Amino acid sequence: MKFKRVLALSMACMLGIATLAGCGKTPTGGTTSDGPMGLDTGATFEEDQIIDYTMFIAMPGSEINDGNEIQQLIAEKTGVRVKETWLTGQTAAEAVGSILASGELPDFIDGGDGMMQLYDAGVLVPWDDYIEKYPNIKELYSDVEWESFRQDDGHIYWANIFTNTYGESQATSHNDEAFWIQCRVLEWDGYPEIKTLDQYFDLLTRYAEANPTMEDGTPVIPYTMLCEDWRYFCIENAPEFLAGYPNDGSVIVDVDNMKIVDYNTIPEAKEYFSILNREYNNGIIDKEFGTQTYDEYIAKLSTGRVLGMCDQWWDFAYTVNDIFIQQNLDDIGCNYVPLGLTLEEGKEQMWHIYGDTLNNSSGVGVTTSCADPDRAFQFLNDLLDQEIHDLRFWGVEGVDYLVDENGMYYKTPEMRDQWADSSYQASHRCVYSYLPQWLGTSRDGKNAMQPQEQESEFFAGLAEPLVNCFEAYGAHGYPDMVGSVEKELGPWFPMYSYSNAMTTATPGGVAWTRMGETKHEWLPKVVMASTADFESTWNSYMEAYASCKPEDFIAEMQEELERRASVGQ
Amino acid sequence: MDLNSKKKEKKQVSSSKKPMKEKITTVELHRQAVLLGFMVIYVIYGIVFYYLPLGGWIMAFQNYKIKDGLFHSQLVGLDKFKFLFEDELFIRDIRNTLAMGIINLVVTFVMAIVFAILLNEVRNKFGKKLVQTISYLPHFLSWIIVTGIIHDALSNTGIINELLMNFNIIKSPINYFAHEGYFWPIVAFANVWKETGWNAIIYLAAIVSIDPSLYEAAEMDGAGRWAKIKHITLPGIRPTIMILLVMNIGNVLNAGFEVQYLLGNGLVRKVSETIDIYVLNWGVSQSDYSLGTAAGIFKSVVAIILIVIANAVAKKTGEEHLF
Repeated sequence: MKFKRVLALSMACMLGIATLAGCGKTPTGGTTSDGPMGLDTGATFEEDQIIDYTMFIAMPGSEINDGNEIQQLIAEKTGVRVKETWLTGQTAAEAVGSILASGELPDFIDGGDGMMQLYDAGVLVPWDDYIEKYPNIKELYSDVEWESFRQDDGHIYWANIFTNTYGESQATSHNDEAFWIQCRVLEWDGYPEIKTLDQYFDLLTRYAEANPTMEDGTPVIPYTMLCEDWRYFCIENAPEFLAGYPNDGSVIVDVDNMKIVDYNTIPEAKEYFSILNREYNNGIIDKEFGTQTYDEYIAKLSTGRVLGMCDQWWDFAYTVNDIFIQQNLDDIGCNYVPLGLTLEEGKEQMWHIYGDTLNNSSGVGVTTSCADPDRAFQFLNDLLDQEIHDLRFWGVEGVDYLVDENGMYYKTPEMRDQWADSSYQASHRCVYSYLPQWLGTSRDGKNAMQPQEQESEFFAGLAEPLVNCFEAYGAHGYPDMVGSVEKELGPWFPMYSYSNAMTTATPGGVAWTRMGETKHEWLPKVVMASTADFESTWNSYMEAYASCKPEDFIAEMQEELERRASVGQ
Repeated sequence: MDLNSKKKEKKQVSSSKKPMKEKITTVELHRQAVLLGFMVIYVIYGIVFYYLPLGGWIMAFQNYKIKDGLFHSQLVGLDKFKFLFEDELFIRDIRNTLAMGIINLVVTFVMAIVFAILLNEVRNKFGKKLVQTISYLPHFLSWIIVTGIIHDALSNTGIINELLMNFNIIKSPINYFAHEGYFWPIVAFANVWKETGWNAIIYLAAIVSIDPSLYEAAEMDGAGRWAKIKHITLPGIRPTIMILLVMNIGNVLNAGFEVQYLLGNGLVRKVSETIDIYVLNWGVSQSDYSLGTAAGIFKSVVAIILIVIANAVAKKTGEEHLF
């Protein structure tokens, strides 16, 4: 008994100490007075003047520490500090639904697919007056683009924050979907031209046969895919790309006839799944693909064992690439490069979208529970100030980056490693990644708004095997690896901004939800069927799919396509 | 037998006192003013937190929109219920919920009783305490952790597959979460692992309160361990078993949300989705709170019916009952 008590007491003490240590505040008093770089306006705020706002982001992310250094610097300059909380273990719509039901709203919210729910509930503050009042906010979009955010009650309630280019585009990344492959696999085969899905799987098979294990003896996984929840696009939407169409997300737009086409039932879809089925039965595809969670998937990728997968860059790269650096896996060529595949050779494809994609179905909004919306919008305006923007994305000058004699920003290798370190990210970096931001060229006309787009930084930051790979293919960045055709996209692009916002209030929305549920169940089943059963499984899937009434969904998408096309003219 | 007759005696004594209490006089009220005051607080509490929220049930008959509120949303009659019962998915989810609810009820119930009796037979005090403590610890873990452990243990490189392969029982790892047939047993196992120790506590307490002289008398008559369990322990905890059973039967439709939500995936959706997950997908996620409320009303009504039936059966068979 006594022993138990002593044990319990000592454990309680340890817990207490751990909690206290976690709260350890970085001293902030001094930075205000001798901070080297005040805003042009010179305004600094004392701790008791700083307003604390809350923000919910309907995407998974990492919370930063209280007392984060750059967050504190930004707070002193702008007078506002935002506590971000992220999605955990739910879908965006579920999270938004429960926030609305509870009635406890954060000050800022990015509801992802749930923005329409927030609008319907009438809890968002209209932006209209503030857009006029604050020049940096107005500058984000052209008048036409702002119009596209207008809801049917005539107001604007949110602004999307991504793929928005200031000045000249500096894009070196492929922030889209692709079939990815580790560059060591390409190197091993002497950098072959991989154009079709068959060639891709053939290469993976041959590599895995020759190199069945990692250095430490764990077997490689030639190909895996994610089917969890909304991220099942990794298995689901490849047919639209393989058929040569851009990422309209939920449908294909047949531009010649201005018709919506359902990519789930086109012949390319069946061929794609028959290839997956074949490779699954050949043992090339991860046996666990159908049941793994996102965390397990990322954990697998982070070990460098997975040779290839189909995914969106943003879905894996930010986490996985940083871990590769920490584990030195980048040096042996575990980094992924994108391939723009089709089913038959010589077909044009549009995996990569050049220029900005305006997804007007989601973005950041200010809620009615924010006591002083004007202050909130002023803060959004301040965040787009070049100095604050540099603080968010480049860090502190002299600590996170240096400036050469031509005014160009650069990082030393140590700075880059530190920048990628997860504990440093929590204690020092504060990106406010879901608040308004720019890509493209900085207002100084030289640097890039974000370091990953700075060409010198981009190549200096790449591991050697990646550089070799880009050189071998004569590529200046990820987009060149994909090699998509540059085509003007219609004003309707992307159609997913409409389907994402659908709710079960319309028959099309009901069909859309049912189609999703059916595909979640059947797509992995189709892949995992035995070779002999593929035909019959596919037919059962098609039957189940047809019973969801996809025609209701397609009809509503067609209507929206026609509406958007007519607005654009 | 002895026990039962004793109980009946007690009851008669208490019921014979009842008529005296029924005289409510102002003097008596005055005398109990303080007590009544305390009671009023709880009555108000009950009204505010249990009965007023029932007003929200009106949502099920509206097309509720947050913007319009409870008073201005459009009334749609039984449309939401119609949507539910015309939806194959909802019917399927009722089946899943009932199936998992019943399996869980039976398995956790039996396991808890068996475990309590076995533990009671352990003579070594230290071993008994140790086992009891360890066995109820999982109760304090949240489901997210338990499902994480189970997910890992059953994965292709998890302990179960490794063991089976080392013993040459299987050739290649089995992906347990990809087969519909395994899902219900996995959920039942998860429940048993987490709750057996905890549920056993109440039975252990009931066993301890059995008069030791009964055991001694049985021993004199030459009863072995088995006979003592059968004729003294089990009848002794029978009232406890019956009350818990009646109460738990009402909970059958609350077969769970977290376990199925966290362990389920697209492949086993057909058997893993419960009513609560349906409400999440079609109600909360789509801001269709009316649909969620309708499903909630359905669950409550079924629960009440089940409890009343179970109680009536218990009453008929002369067992301990709730009301």
